Amino acid sequence: MTQTIAPYAAPPTTATAPVHRTGLRGALSRTPGRLRVAGVVSVLAAAAVGVIGLNAGLAQSQALSDADADTRQLVGIQDVRNDLVVADATATNAFLVGGLEPPEQRARYDEAVAAAANGLAQLAGSNAADAELLGQATAGLTTYTGLVEQARANNRQGFPVGAAYLDQASSVLRTDVLPQLDELVQANSDRVDASFDSVASVPWLLALGILALAVLVVIQVWLAKRTHRRLNAGLFWSTVLALVATVAGAFVLGSAAAEAGDARSGPYDATVSVSQAYSLANDAKSQESFTLIKRGSGAVYEEQFVLKTDEARELLQRPTVDTALVGLLDDWVASHQEIRALDDGGRWDEAVALAISEEPGAPNDLFQTFSTAASSSLEASAEQTHDALAGSGGSSVLVGWLMLVAGVLAAVLSWRGISKRVEEYR
Amino acid sequence: MTTTRPRTALGAVIASLALLAGCAGAPAAAPETRQEAAAPAALPAATVCDDSFESTMSYAPDGGPTPNVDAIRARGALLVGVSADTLLMGSRNPLSGQIEGFDIDMLQAVSAAIFGDARPLQFRVITSAQRLEVLENHEVDLVARTFTMNCERWETIAFSAEYLTAGQKVLVTRDSDAQSIEDLEALGEQRVCAPEGTTTLERLQETYPGVEAVPAPTHTGCLVLFQQGKVDAITGDDTILAGFVAQDPYAKVVGDAFSAEPYGIGVAADQVDLARFVNGVLDAAKADGTWAASYDRWLEALGPAPVPPVSVYGRVPSP
Repeated sequence: MTQTIAPYAAPPTTATAPVHRTGLRGALSRTPGRLRVAGVVSVLAAAAVGVIGLNAGLAQSQALSDADADTRQLVGIQDVRNDLVVADATATNAFLVGGLEPPEQRARYDEAVAAAANGLAQLAGSNAADAELLGQATAGLTTYTGLVEQARANNRQGFPVGAAYLDQASSVLRTDVLPQLDELVQANSDRVDASFDSVASVPWLLALGILALAVLVVIQVWLAKRTHRRLNAGLFWSTVLALVATVAGAFVLGSAAAEAGDARSGPYDATVSVSQAYSLANDAKSQESFTLIKRGSGAVYEEQFVLKTDEARELLQRPTVDTALVGLLDDWVASHQEIRALDDGGRWDEAVALAISEEPGAPNDLFQTFSTAASSSLEASAEQTHDALAGSGGSSVLVGWLMLVAGVLAAVLSWRGISKRVEEYR
Repeated sequence: MTTTRPRTALGAVIASLALLAGCAGAPAAAPETRQEAAAPAALPAATVCDDSFESTMSYAPDGGPTPNVDAIRARGALLVGVSADTLLMGSRNPLSGQIEGFDIDMLQAVSAAIFGDARPLQFRVITSAQRLEVLENHEVDLVARTFTMNCERWETIAFSAEYLTAGQKVLVTRDSDAQSIEDLEALGEQRVCAPEGTTTLERLQETYPGVEAVPAPTHTGCLVLFQQGKVDAITGDDTILAGFVAQDPYAKVVGDAFSAEPYGIGVAADQVDLARFVNGVLDAAKADGTWAASYDRWLEALGPAPVPPVSVYGRVPSP
């Protein structure tokens, strides 16, 4: 999480200040005393570069892995959401068929519900902060599946009350499950944003290293005036080492931040957009079935269909998204228009036949094509995001430790440089 | 099943009380006829149309020109507003996907008479609350959806002659001893379901404060609540409750009807010729046994087919 940065940033300043103050006490009247103080200050400054570097490296690695984990949680929640709307769309479409539902639709429903239940359990385990809302969603899912089974049992006996149970199931899904998941999607996307923000801001921590470098330079200038020697080799190499470490650290952390920034505006953006669009399309698919189930009184559902598909299209038109997807969505929406045309023309039976047809080129087939393409695009961009985030974490940690080593070396060099001058006073 | 607009609810109650008081001694066909019709603004109309005997008065078949029937014939399909979840009256058979029931049979008879063949009806599934507006907007030709005839509705639409007399009853669980809503009141803390926006629900709230009235979007919604144990009883027309009992062996309908609900087929107010045509078809069905056959097929649970309701004619179209 982002909050980890503040404590990491604190030690360098608090570490140097008190020592500085105690060094001022008394022994400053004579040159050797002052030299010793200068030595301590330069050692601390050099060490600070190392400590800052290590902290920055660890903080960035943490922020990157947070962004990665939160992205995966976000995608996981949207997966569950998608599974649920797929299940609902399948159940309502199967209901249209009348009589026994086709076994493959039943299988698709079972698969989607199983995937959603699995997903919910895993998500609750992977982030405790989400557990409560996920618990509510799981409870809602239990109610939902119960109602769908009751709808099925009634349908099978030819009782129209089955339709009322299906209606209730759909509304339970839309009031007790999906809003909870939407809230979690929002919370996780906020977390991902915060993590990305800290990945981008961590390299600026190294600006503190410049302060330490400035201290080293000031001490050298003071020393040159005091001892009338142009260069103190120890301090000089210490400064060079600290400078190189800071620049190299800034470069590595900066490029990791840039890569994360690219992932954020590229594959991550695509992942979120496609996932939302996919969810909206599945929602619209349920609405399509309801326009027919409500037979002639489905205008409200058709409005919802148009709203949802328009929103999905907008998301798919984002520059980061695979351009083929919007075409596939449009193909499906065009085939939906055929269903509407038949139904509006009074040919309900034909409209239903078209809506439940599994023939190639039928709405269900076109929707399946879109779904498959959206799912694989989703998987690919989620994988890319993961790679971009997980890859730079290691190098950030490595550069952090290298900066610490450089800082310690620089501190040793500084101490030896000053010690030589102090010895001249013995 | 009768529906009022919310703003007329209070007026309807007042009017019904007034009318009940006025008609107390009248030898009306149905002593407990629901008088929920007259809205405050329409009170003077009550002198023109009295629910106790004029709400069922329709236009006599006259064999005159039928421009609206010709238009339907030209179109090729009869557009009807129906219920798809009222078992026995009009419901979608989940096995066949077809909408069927007693109401549907009546409409099919009309369609067959118009076209001379048994062609499919063009259904529009509507809720009770939509029944008036789809006729007022001419979105359908006919509405047959457990549609109670009353004076208020006559002001905006027309009806065929009465084709079925239903009555409001109560449905309880199989092991309940209650025989009426009063019995439920005596039991205390009983929840009774009725569909939203209907006078059934209002009457429940006003007349029976001893039970908790629970609204549901539709009658079938009430059955869901009943099966889930969220309500203890459902009140509604016996035709509808019979459909519930057919779907749930743990339910039973008890007591006598405490209102009479004359059902008519709804027609747009300006299509008097269509109403006359429908009446001709209904008269034939009542006479030739088609009506009784349909009753036996769907409403057997209510007992053997009674004598069909007598068609009352004499209404004169307003100019």
